[in-house]
Amino acid sequence: MIKAQHIVKTFINGDVVTPVLKGIDLDIRSGEFVAIIGPSGAGKSTLMYQLSLLDHPTKGSIVIDGRETAEMNIAERTAFRLHELGYVFQDYAILPELTAVENVMTPILMKGTPKKEARKISLQVLDQVGLSDRVDFLPNRLSGGQQQRVSIARAIAHEPKILFADEPTANLDTVTSREILSLFMDLHVKGQTIVMVTHEKEFAEMAERIIELKDGRIISDKKTT
Amino acid sequence: MKKVRLFFKALMNVRVTLRVAFFLAFRQIRRSSKWTTGLIIFIMMLTFLNLVVVSGLLVGLISGSYVQFRDHYAGDVLITPAPGRTYIEDSQDIVSYVKGLPEVETVSSRTSILAQVKGTLDENPKAKEKPNVSGGAIIGINPDEEEKLSEFSKFVLEGQNLKNGEEGFILIGANLIKEYSTFGDVDIPGLELLKNIKVGDRVRVSIETEAGPAEKDVIVKGIMKSKVDQISQRYFMVDKELRRMLPANRLELQEIAIKSKPDMGRLVADDVMAHFNNPRVRVQTYQEAIPSFLRDIETTFGILGNFLSSFGLILACITVFIVVFINAVNRRKYIGILKGIGVEPRVITLAYVCQAVFYGVAGATIGLVITFGLLKPFFERNPINFPFSDGILVATLDGSLLRVGILLFVTILAGFIPAYMIVRKNTLDSILGR
Repeated sequence: MIKAQHIVKTFINGDVVTPVLKGIDLDIRSGEFVAIIGPSGAGKSTLMYQLSLLDHPTKGSIVIDGRETAEMNIAERTAFRLHELGYVFQDYAILPELTAVENVMTPILMKGTPKKEARKISLQVLDQVGLSDRVDFLPNRLSGGQQQRVSIARAIAHEPKILFADEPTANLDTVTSREILSLFMDLHVKGQTIVMVTHEKEFAEMAERIIELKDGRIISDKKTT
Repeated sequence: MKKVRLFFKALMNVRVTLRVAFFLAFRQIRRSSKWTTGLIIFIMMLTFLNLVVVSGLLVGLISGSYVQFRDHYAGDVLITPAPGRTYIEDSQDIVSYVKGLPEVETVSSRTSILAQVKGTLDENPKAKEKPNVSGGAIIGINPDEEEKLSEFSKFVLEGQNLKNGEEGFILIGANLIKEYSTFGDVDIPGLELLKNIKVGDRVRVSIETEAGPAEKDVIVKGIMKSKVDQISQRYFMVDKELRRMLPANRLELQEIAIKSKPDMGRLVADDVMAHFNNPRVRVQTYQEAIPSFLRDIETTFGILGNFLSSFGLILACITVFIVVFINAVNRRKYIGILKGIGVEPRVITLAYVCQAVFYGVAGATIGLVITFGLLKPFFERNPINFPFSDGILVATLDGSLLRVGILLFVTILAGFIPAYMIVRKNTLDSILGR
């Protein structure tokens, strides 16, 4: 599903050159639940941004679902993200002026789905994440956990091939974090490919594969028991 | 087949772009601060009013004098002698013909001749003292016809209007008497005004004709004051009496003012010109008869009004730019997220443009309602008291809609540029706030 070869990412700020990823090779298969872990500054979020087409690697090749992403222009990358990828961000990143259901509807509408149908799908997904009683609430009336559920609903509503999650539990308490992780587990059981960045080993072990980074390099890549 | 498929794909893309942009814009407007939205709309409304009202009032000062010129002097069509001629040829035939036209409501025929009016009859001026004499045009009118055409009696400042059938009276325009004239307090070389003339005083009218001088003593029956010079700067007598002072064959007229049914002036003027086909008679609509300096002032005021309005337009442009820019900068992270989840940049930009258009349309709509529902009727009922006219607000629907268009164009531009500047930034940088 994702084949990354020799990914290098270097940030240049004036005379300061900061290499963050120093040649990453990895292969993620369809239906896998992969956790990327590592200490702060290891490059795990940067790796996720490259894999999820939010950023361009300085060097290397990323092929997703058979398509070489380096050859895509901006419009193609945007369309690819819309149709094939889903995102869950650390700080939920839901739009404050849209209600829960409207947030979930946005990418579905963008795919050309009629409004009524988009709302129907969104309501189903919100029900799936346990928010059927909060669909018309604005984000400021939702708790952190509820906002993250909206974010997950938005990420999966358009049935992406790969779901990327960047520290999805970082701002949540332990109980809520477990609830969110169990949602990911449910999705994984249904065959969803998930790539999750986390710095918490306990949650990483819920994935079926853990990739550990240090100083921009993979230092371990193992299956969990 | 491939081209047809591509065409429908592009059409679908446009539909989706518009739909999602409206979806986002509508919700941003609905859930933004009511005070901020209200303030922006208020500024847009003021800008629109500035565009319409400033130039409208400036032009209206002159247009007010056009209206008075038509309503209280020229009517819709004015027939006068051609340049170099002293009377209108075939005057009586023209009057008879015009009165028979179905488009004509009323006609006033006037005789005009230069006269001297002597204000002090009982004593000769002492040595070094100027005689109390003033010159000017004396107009012979039919008081009933004139009343119908120009509401002449409205301008009697003191005394009474002339009446058909009575003789021995004169009306004097206020600008010919020192105590009433707007120029009375200045000493303009060559400008001789009558002094100490009151209603009831006797004055002597002297006119020079080809048959020799003619004089008549008459009583001042009234003093006329109007912002139309043709009333304030002339003498008036009953036409029959004035004509008797002229040689027997002088029945020709100097002015025929015609009031037509609404918007029929051009038609009547063309009809008269075609019927008489006489180059020695000048037939003009009131617009053509208006002195050219007034038209020049109108043009100048129009330019000045547009110049002043353009400052307002620039201000509105900057306001919308700043509002959209600050809004977009504050929402940079969310713009990044929208792009991140696959919403095309053009959709996000269009959403901001839609918001700007909403502000512009709302402001202009309120401005239109205020202009046509409040200001225009107000200035029609309470015109601005300007020295040579009663200023009104000139605002036509066509002109106002053009200004709505200009305002919207500027608003779209002011909404598009900042949104485009922010939206084109790197997606990840926007999401991470770097």
